[in-house]
Amino acid sequence: MEALLAAIITGLLLGMVYGLAAVGLNLIFGVLKIINLSHGAFIALGMFGAYYLFQYFGLIPFVSVIPVFVVILIIGILLYFIAIRRVMGRQELSTLLITYSISLIIVGLGTFFFTTNPRSIDIPWESIRIFSVYIPATRIVALFLAIICTFLLYLFLYKTWIGKAVRAVSMNRVAAEYMGVNSHVILATSFGIGIGIAAIAGVVIASIFPFTILSGGVYELKSFVICVLGGLGNPFGAIAGGLILGLVESVLSLKIPVGIVPFIEFILLVLMLLVKPEGIFGRR
Amino acid sequence: MSEILVVENIDSGYKDVQILWDVSLKAEEGKVTVIVGSNGSGKTTLLRTIMGSVRAKSGRIMFDGNDITKWPTYKRAEAGLIYIPEGRQLFPDMTVLENLEMGAYTKRARVKMKENLEYVFTLFPRLKERINQKAGTLSGGEQQMLAVGRGIMGCPRLMLFDEPTLGLSPKLSIEIFGIIDKLKKEKISMILVEQNVYFSLQIADYGYVLSEGRIVKEGKGEELLASEDVKKAYLGV
Repeated sequence: MEALLAAIITGLLLGMVYGLAAVGLNLIFGVLKIINLSHGAFIALGMFGAYYLFQYFGLIPFVSVIPVFVVILIIGILLYFIAIRRVMGRQELSTLLITYSISLIIVGLGTFFFTTNPRSIDIPWESIRIFSVYIPATRIVALFLAIICTFLLYLFLYKTWIGKAVRAVSMNRVAAEYMGVNSHVILATSFGIGIGIAAIAGVVIASIFPFTILSGGVYELKSFVICVLGGLGNPFGAIAGGLILGLVESVLSLKIPVGIVPFIEFILLVLMLLVKPEGIFGRR
Repeated sequence: MSEILVVENIDSGYKDVQILWDVSLKAEEGKVTVIVGSNGSGKTTLLRTIMGSVRAKSGRIMFDGNDITKWPTYKRAEAGLIYIPEGRQLFPDMTVLENLEMGAYTKRARVKMKENLEYVFTLFPRLKERINQKAGTLSGGEQQMLAVGRGIMGCPRLMLFDEPTLGLSPKLSIEIFGIIDKLKKEKISMILVEQNVYFSLQIADYGYVLSEGRIVKEGKGEELLASEDVKKAYLGV
């Protein structure tokens, strides 16, 4: 019973963080209509950003999210104008190839500079007791950080001019141009924010689990499952999808060897695609 | 009278298909200019070329004294060229209010958002009742009102209407024409593209007849209404 309770709490905590990673992927899909295969690479960059800021400046990950986000946001805007802009509106293969090559470049350089030795960030915080279960404090902070980021994204999308323009472009890019919206700037900003959120998720994950430059791929795959669960194109459906995946993962691993859990996650993905391809909160 | 928009010898179309051939026209400040023509004559392509969402292959477009032929669409909107597209093109998952706010996106329009919003609500009280409803759930007539309202929010120097009564009941069409007539009395410059030749030429100060991508006739509204060709081709008399 105690083990189950612990699994549920852990599942919800991790699920929120997984959900955050998927929110970024979903935002990019919703606005740019491209599938970002470099998502995992930026999650990994976030992890290393957190690692080095901790090593050299003593910044704990929950502070380093801010500089990491800003840097990745700028990289995202530049990448849009250098590369992605050229394939907007082309067939899907071009957009997949270009984001995949971005991923290859980052992972390749990362392997060269950082090697693939596992790293971890050890924050000497105690565990906190919730009911009868002890949860590491870092995970609790991670949860709050993920909630705050999601809330800030909501405020941005619904309460600011640029955010509203982002939504308008996602619904009807040409009409948004007729309103005076410079859609390339909006698409660039959306890409920057999308991978910036991925990097934040990376920072948060790095404070919980050990990682290498290759770790991003795992979370990218989880993000795809989550997006399908929550509905592609709806950023906030991803949070629900993340919570479901987190719960499934952590409750199942009580009874089933951990190695088989991803297999079950992908069965879930296939079932979802068969039964309700638009996702739980998606619209046709 | 000063000309606010001058289109000179425009060729335009999509990829390999040329739609417009050597089209020239003028719109005067404070006047209603009507372009009539049957389905497929190139009316929508003409407006899209003026907005820049379709690029002119050759020719020149002057707006307010500037050569805007190479400007991107959003910059034309910033200059006050406001397009009310065919099929409304609303933002379906945004509320009525958010759609109107998007209409006032440009810096020029943002400062006047409050008073324009009030004006739109006096023109269309029904929009005020549905202020928090998603645009996609409105009826066809209400969507058209929202599209017009969204255009007014942009502080237009010149409004381009693309078939505003398409798919509307006769009663609603008359309502929309009533609004356009009201805007005309406010001295708002307009270009109106319509299939409803009779109504639109009655409102028109000046009109053009577009046929197979070419301007085949032009003249004052009442002259065109009285002309035998127009009567034969469009009014069925």
